[in-house]
Amino acid sequence: MRAEIKKIQDMMETADYVTDPAIAMSVHLAMTLKKPLLIEGHAGVGKTEIAKVMAKMLDTSLIRLQCYEGLDAAQALYEWNYPKQLLHIKLEESTTHTTTEKEAAIFSPPFLIRRPLLQAISQPGAPPVLLIDEIDRADEEFEAFLLEVLSDFQVTIPEIGTIKATQPPYVILTSNRVRELSDALRRRCLYMWIDFPGFEKEVRIVTRKVPGVNERLAREISRFMETVRTIRLAKVPGVAETLDWAQALSSLHADHLDEELVAETLGCVVKDADDIKRLKRELASGGIGRFVAAQS
Amino acid sequence: MQAPRDLMRAVLAFGGVLRTAGLPVTTPEVMDAVRALEVVDLMDRHEVYLALRTVLVNRMEEQPAFDRCFEAFWTYRADEGQGLDGLITTTQPARADEEHAPDSIESAQEKQAQIALDDWDEGEASEDEPLEVPGLSDREVLMEQDFSTFPAEQLDEVARLTVLIAKRLARRVSRRRKPTRRGGIVDLRRSMRANLMKGEIIDLRRRARRRRKVRLVLLCDVSGSMDLYSRFLLQFLYALQNVFGRVETFTFATRLTRVSDLLRGPSYKRALKRLTEVRDWSGGTRIGDAIRDFNQEWGHLVDRRTIVLILSDGWDTGEPDVLAQEMLTLKRRAGRVLWLNPLLGNPSYEPLTRGMAAALPLVDHFAAAHNLSSLRELATHLTLR
Repeated sequence: MRAEIKKIQDMMETADYVTDPAIAMSVHLAMTLKKPLLIEGHAGVGKTEIAKVMAKMLDTSLIRLQCYEGLDAAQALYEWNYPKQLLHIKLEESTTHTTTEKEAAIFSPPFLIRRPLLQAISQPGAPPVLLIDEIDRADEEFEAFLLEVLSDFQVTIPEIGTIKATQPPYVILTSNRVRELSDALRRRCLYMWIDFPGFEKEVRIVTRKVPGVNERLAREISRFMETVRTIRLAKVPGVAETLDWAQALSSLHADHLDEELVAETLGCVVKDADDIKRLKRELASGGIGRFVAAQS
Repeated sequence: MQAPRDLMRAVLAFGGVLRTAGLPVTTPEVMDAVRALEVVDLMDRHEVYLALRTVLVNRMEEQPAFDRCFEAFWTYRADEGQGLDGLITTTQPARADEEHAPDSIESAQEKQAQIALDDWDEGEASEDEPLEVPGLSDREVLMEQDFSTFPAEQLDEVARLTVLIAKRLARRVSRRRKPTRRGGIVDLRRSMRANLMKGEIIDLRRRARRRRKVRLVLLCDVSGSMDLYSRFLLQFLYALQNVFGRVETFTFATRLTRVSDLLRGPSYKRALKRLTEVRDWSGGTRIGDAIRDFNQEWGHLVDRRTIVLILSDGWDTGEPDVLAQEMLTLKRRAGRVLWLNPLLGNPSYEPLTRGMAAALPLVDHFAAAHNLSSLRELATHLTLR
């Protein structure tokens, strides 16, 4: 393995992110090729975490843009500070400045509110990590707009002029696939799909993140989760759920799983009434043994 | 960097193989792949695999095809020298067998669909256009006639009308969204400019509040005779597309297929063809199973701002209980559930099939979609109460 990639993997592990070669490779390429990285995967598999770890690794700041339906340029790029402008106009009332002068004054950088995208472009010093979270929640119009920003990392503000990034930021986009993203955006990005972790990886994640859990319990939890994910549920639990559960079990001072304990804490694993019912049925039919026995 | 030209050539060839397998690999991506290989260990096959995958795969679904191509294309000979020599390509590039079946002969139906689609982007209409299509009155008979009874040569015309009506409707709705003088939210940027001289904001400029659009999810039965109705409904709804936040489409006969991606952009025509391909003449649709699969796999697409439309004649050979259970799950999630049944156009029809009877209590609106006027009528129900 290339030393740089190994180093990334080690650094991610030091930053408490349990990783694998595929993830390390994607991060490595995103940093060396300077291309945006699109990460897709089920909810709770640690997509967002990658950007945070990356910022930590590069010792730079993380700028986050959380997407939602109706997100527009004013929220993502910049907006004028209207209250401040108003105050300024008020204060200038008695002066003899012309309208043009007044206008120039209030449409100048001190009155500009920099939203995440502009921040990421105009930040002095080391390029930051720009996390565009859940891009699938934003509208298609926004996606097109984003594509423009990502292609040349410059923004034109009519009143001020064009601002161009001296060093483009590292860009991470995440998507839960609520809607399909455009081909144009996909082509622009490197791509990574993060699946639910395999058994061994999940054990490592649990022992790493929840120190109060012993090896046996960690293995039982991971085996249980692995089995749960094979059952048809409305909301398949992710790693976040695994960790919640492990945390709960740890605070109950559990050292292994038994039926009663599972029944009591099931709410940490699945969070939908129908799913709980279904899971209880499965547990009743096969017993807990079915979920944790298959120790290999 | 040794032998960059060989590397370039190999990656180019690999890009070609991927394209044959149906992956839309572009030239910039191939260039990126070459750059990516410059920063990885070429002696490590898995590393080469990961690097190429990161650059050349654009979505999870492409991964299996990519894996097959990679397996076949890149062979590794550990005993040979350094760098690129260790990594050679097989003489026989991978043939991705299943994906590239030659395009089949165009059916008359497909052509009909194309004609309609070619019209989609034609000129803008004036502001105060009536909803009726001009000159339609003499074709009023077309409005009421069941789709299945049109002779093949008239289908073109009907498909065109479908799209025309939908476009008029769409324009009507979008006009309603135009910014108003009152109401809406204050547009501070414009207000500021307009009031520069006054020292305070007197004249507020407003813009319409951005309304969240309603999403549509379509579940179309394409078994047997339903195929034709699905086609018209799809044409109709996609022409209305810009009114909605998103339209997701699934077809089902014996199994559920998501066709949304195909229905976007220029490949729309191919999608209509696909509808015919998934058609299943053996009869007997298992609607309950299809909806269960949908809830399972795609349930996350549905929320309170989503209208779900199911187009089916309700001839279900599956268990009514399954259907009822799954309809309930769907209804809980969705803003509205509409069931469209072309048979309803027949005055003597009563929804007595077991499946239909099980589903009916769980449906917000039950309507026909068998002719042009029923499609137009449908548009009024595509709102969240």
